[in-house]
Amino acid sequence: MRPALLWLVACTLAAAVRAYEPEVNYMLQCMGCHTPDGSGEPGRVPSIRDTILPFARVAAGRRYLVQVPGAAQSTLSDAELAAVLNWMIVELGHGTPQAFAPFTAAEIAEYRRTPLIDVRSERERLLALTH
Amino acid sequence: MNRLDKLAEASVRSVARRTSRRSLLASLGALLVGGAAVPLLPIARGAEPPAKGAARNGGADDKAAAKAAALQDPQSCEYWRHCAIDGYLCGCCGGSQHSCPPGTEMSAVTWVGTCHNPVDGLDYVVSYNDCCGKSTCGRCLCNRNERDTPIYIPFQSNDYNWCSGSSKGNVAYHCSTARIVGQAR
Repeated sequence: MRPALLWLVACTLAAAVRAYEPEVNYMLQCMGCHTPDGSGEPGRVPSIRDTILPFARVAAGRRYLVQVPGAAQSTLSDAELAAVLNWMIVELGHGTPQAFAPFTAAEIAEYRRTPLIDVRSERERLLALTH
Repeated sequence: MNRLDKLAEASVRSVARRTSRRSLLASLGALLVGGAAVPLLPIARGAEPPAKGAARNGGADDKAAAKAAALQDPQSCEYWRHCAIDGYLCGCCGGSQHSCPPGTEMSAVTWVGTCHNPVDGLDYVVSYNDCCGKSTCGRCLCNRNERDTPIYIPFQSNDYNWCSGSSKGNVAYHCSTARIVGQAR
């Protein structure tokens, strides 16, 4: 194909896949239940504000953050999900960039394909481990 | 009397001798066309509201004007913020597009989508928080589902009663708001 045609195809593909900033993806994919500041709804949706940074600092917690149904089954790509999680840890969990290792698309891909069956008891186990 | 008859006959005959029947049609026609043309003379048409002047092209502009007005009317399903709404408009139920009617409480848990604002050409994130605690409002039912997913992809589906997420037991659904929470960049 001629370069001009290739360019056209590339532009069409880029336009078809709308890429949003992590903050907007949080609004569209997470905020509906987790509320704008991540505090959730008492008794229904747990707060992520105090747990996301401690979870991101241990291996089992990192796996949990990716495997919870809302994250693993979202329509985000691996790279977008990594960007949203990193944004959440800093903006909602008050984590400094030095306090945790940022998620990468490869790490997301590795965890995401394995479903987490018993979310509630895994969360209890992690809370006991990190707090 | 005889003299009057003769005068009338003479004048009618002279008119008939001087004019043709077609000239009557011609002058009548000129009057009709000329009369119709008078309102088209170049006067200040621009001062009229656009909806009136549009009648000449079969009302197409009327429809476009009505559609443009609906895009900006918060009590219309076509209001641009309502592109992904499914429920009764709170603006028709004693509230507004961003506040709940008296006696109801806004759900914290909600469904979020994006809508295109045709005025500034930007996309916005819209949060459709339900108002809960009273029975259904029943006015201005709108069901527009842009980017709504089937219920088996629950995080992006607007078919839920989001009042069921309330911890205070206000699960009765009353109406839906459409709050701008950010720009979709």
